[in-house]
Amino acid sequence: MARYQITDDDLPFASEFLAEPIGYHSPGLQRVLNRMRGADWDFKYVLVVEERHSKWRLGKLPKQRGAKVEMVDGVVYTDLREAECDIFKRRWSDLTGQDLEALLPHSS
Amino acid sequence: MLPIVGYTNKLTVEPGETIDVMVGSFGAKNYRADFRQIIQGDTNPDGPGYKDKLIDLDLGGDRRALDKPFRPGSCVLIPGVHAIEEVRDFTLAAVVKPTLLDGRKRSILALPGFAEIGIDEHDRLTGVAGGQTLTSTMQVSVDHWHIVSLSYCADTKALSLAIAQDRDSTSEPPCPEVVTVSTDLSSGRPSECIIAASRDDDGELTGFLDGRIDRPAFFDTAIAPETLRNLLADFSLLRRQRSLLGAWDFSRKMTTRMICDVSPYQLHGHIHNAPTRAMTGWLWKGQELDWKLRPDLYSAIHFHSTDMYDAGWEVDFSLTIPDDLKSGVYTVRLVPDSDEEAAYYCVFAVRPPRDRASGNTVAFLFPTCSYLAYANHRLGMDVPGTEIGMGRAVELDRHHMFLQDNPGIGFSVYETHDDDTGVFHSSRLRPIVDMQPKVKSFLGGYGSNIWQFNADTHILGWLDAIDQDYDVITDEDMHEDGLRLLQRYNVILTGTHPEYYTRNMMEAMQGFTDRGGRLMYLGGNGFYWVVSFNEDMPGIMECRRSEAGIRPWEPGHGHFYHGFTGEYGGLWRRNGHPPNHLCGVGMTSQGFDVSEPYVVSPEAENPRAAFIFDGIEGTRIGDFGLAGGGAAGLEVDRADLAQGTPEHALVLATSTRHTDIYLMTPEDLLDPTPDWSGTQADIIRADLTFFETIGGGAVFSTGSIAWAGSMAWNGYDNEIARMTENVLRRFDDKTPFEYPQC
Repeated sequence: MARYQITDDDLPFASEFLAEPIGYHSPGLQRVLNRMRGADWDFKYVLVVEERHSKWRLGKLPKQRGAKVEMVDGVVYTDLREAECDIFKRRWSDLTGQDLEALLPHSS
Repeated sequence: MLPIVGYTNKLTVEPGETIDVMVGSFGAKNYRADFRQIIQGDTNPDGPGYKDKLIDLDLGGDRRALDKPFRPGSCVLIPGVHAIEEVRDFTLAAVVKPTLLDGRKRSILALPGFAEIGIDEHDRLTGVAGGQTLTSTMQVSVDHWHIVSLSYCADTKALSLAIAQDRDSTSEPPCPEVVTVSTDLSSGRPSECIIAASRDDDGELTGFLDGRIDRPAFFDTAIAPETLRNLLADFSLLRRQRSLLGAWDFSRKMTTRMICDVSPYQLHGHIHNAPTRAMTGWLWKGQELDWKLRPDLYSAIHFHSTDMYDAGWEVDFSLTIPDDLKSGVYTVRLVPDSDEEAAYYCVFAVRPPRDRASGNTVAFLFPTCSYLAYANHRLGMDVPGTEIGMGRAVELDRHHMFLQDNPGIGFSVYETHDDDTGVFHSSRLRPIVDMQPKVKSFLGGYGSNIWQFNADTHILGWLDAIDQDYDVITDEDMHEDGLRLLQRYNVILTGTHPEYYTRNMMEAMQGFTDRGGRLMYLGGNGFYWVVSFNEDMPGIMECRRSEAGIRPWEPGHGHFYHGFTGEYGGLWRRNGHPPNHLCGVGMTSQGFDVSEPYVVSPEAENPRAAFIFDGIEGTRIGDFGLAGGGAAGLEVDRADLAQGTPEHALVLATSTRHTDIYLMTPEDLLDPTPDWSGTQADIIRADLTFFETIGGGAVFSTGSIAWAGSMAWNGYDNEIARMTENVLRRFDDKTPFEYPQC
């Protein structure tokens, strides 16, 4: 288990990410992202390219090499930033059991 | 997914030469092929637009697409064993250290149809002969070498399987466990010997071992395990045994495909699918780290069930390159079932004729070594932290999904085998699905997110946009022909990430710039890793990542010298050819999220650099681009006198900030402290560098992979493209550069 655990103290970093998901991040947000994007295969979300540069489906990468990528039904993105924000919210829920949109009602 | 894939038997071909095309169906029923020149492969709508050019060459009409499997797995094949007399009494023996035990049956040493030693689903040693199967109580272990044997004595009717685990941490000699049954075996005449695999009922190779095998041997008498141990430990004693039918010393002809039998029968064989040679053997205890000095200690081969050298597909068709075709990057495009969107591109270079210069004075160096290093790489799939380095979610394009479904296609040198040991070899004799136009990648930055070949087409597209005549030469051409080829040109342009170099290539390029040639290094992290080709196995490349460097694995102690050539592996910076000496800059950091502009430095005012800045205004350049939004990024290089940057080199511009995804390379980060990151450390930067060479030549280095993504911005109409053209025009002028007086 990763040492760093995401708590309500990280909510400001969630707001920071949802405002600008790509590029420069504060050290606190980077730590949250490291937890979310590291070696935890329970929520290894990936963007499966449906149409290059315009359409992606959400999938989950299996740990085992050669195993099928598990597709998340009905989740399609047409914007990469929107996809990043959605994945962030899903991982927040996966890690804390909390609905980030309820905690940050103005985030979406 | 990809319904069809293919490959060619060469990545470089000259006019008049014939090239074979191998095509495999993964769902397609039919296909047709055409021949195209690749101009620009990036499909980003913010970019200059995809462009290729149909070449009028009839490749035939519709063809049936045939299923062709990948058959990975390495072994040793010893044919001609039937030449020895009928065998009744026998002993099969080897020393083995498995590296992966995962419930699969494995073979260690097989005389198919006669006898076999293997490992069963429960990690126990098995011996099979005459319909009898013996199984050890002891389980084999990935932590130890094991001396194993299967023997039969007709007089006593004893078939015995023996296993002794060599726990070298104790002073006791290995104590064998022996399992014996009484049976009456008839004599036999095995036709072949297979080491690290066997054959199934259809004759296909199966039961590949993941592990190391040392000194397998075959005798025509039953030998007790205690005797066998001493015999196997001493080849000079072993070869004098009159009972010896074959003993294979893997330390001989180490750099070739050949496997040598030290018995008088000379049952020589060869390796299949390029297992790793020059690996520490049973008797290696750290006595020597260079296999060339004590090859006897490097008598093991490491076999992997995932090794892949030659897919071995049958040729579908061949084409002869027209005599008048100009040099360039071309593709045989395979269109499955009339679905253009699903087309597969077999990309290769048409080089200028070998026997005469084309007349072009500019050459694009098509970095096939770096393409091979990354061939079919799985960084975003196998390495979970890749997403952290990307600073965003991993995109899986269709070819990635194909790789996920078909790991048997073989790996890049960025992967580990299933036993977690590093992949030392990469081959071009198989489909390379990421060496295509249009495909996206993991590391190309926010924006186009393309890498290696497809990213390099930004440079090809720019050459086309400025109407520049050019030849395309490959790393393999430079390795083979050296300066004889390079001297034809005034200017050599690199790709975006020419990271992997052989010694021949380094010396040819250094010789080129020293003698007046002009090098435009339009990339980042170039000239970094040592790689080798094998003179006996065309198309395969070795990389052993010793000691330092950003690397996905390390080769294990004792394995730092290449098996193909004996060269010390690792970074050129540690092997007498630091990239800074060749091109002024060397790898300093990487991050795959966003890129930055360069800030012009006071040294840009030097009159020596005036031609570079002709028509370029402002103090920040390259604040745009398709690779992360800036010209400086992804992998960046710094000028550094201590690493060999010439004292007179001008650092014209520098990136002054990167995100904290960018960290230091291990070779520079001797004492890790948390301040070595992109927002904090000055050393993390791309240095745009120029210098003249003593022979009237010159070098222009961008030190950034993202540079070409900025060249392609706004339809190649921007200051980065202009600066690059300024340099090209002056570099293509033969007037010698004046070497500045110190």
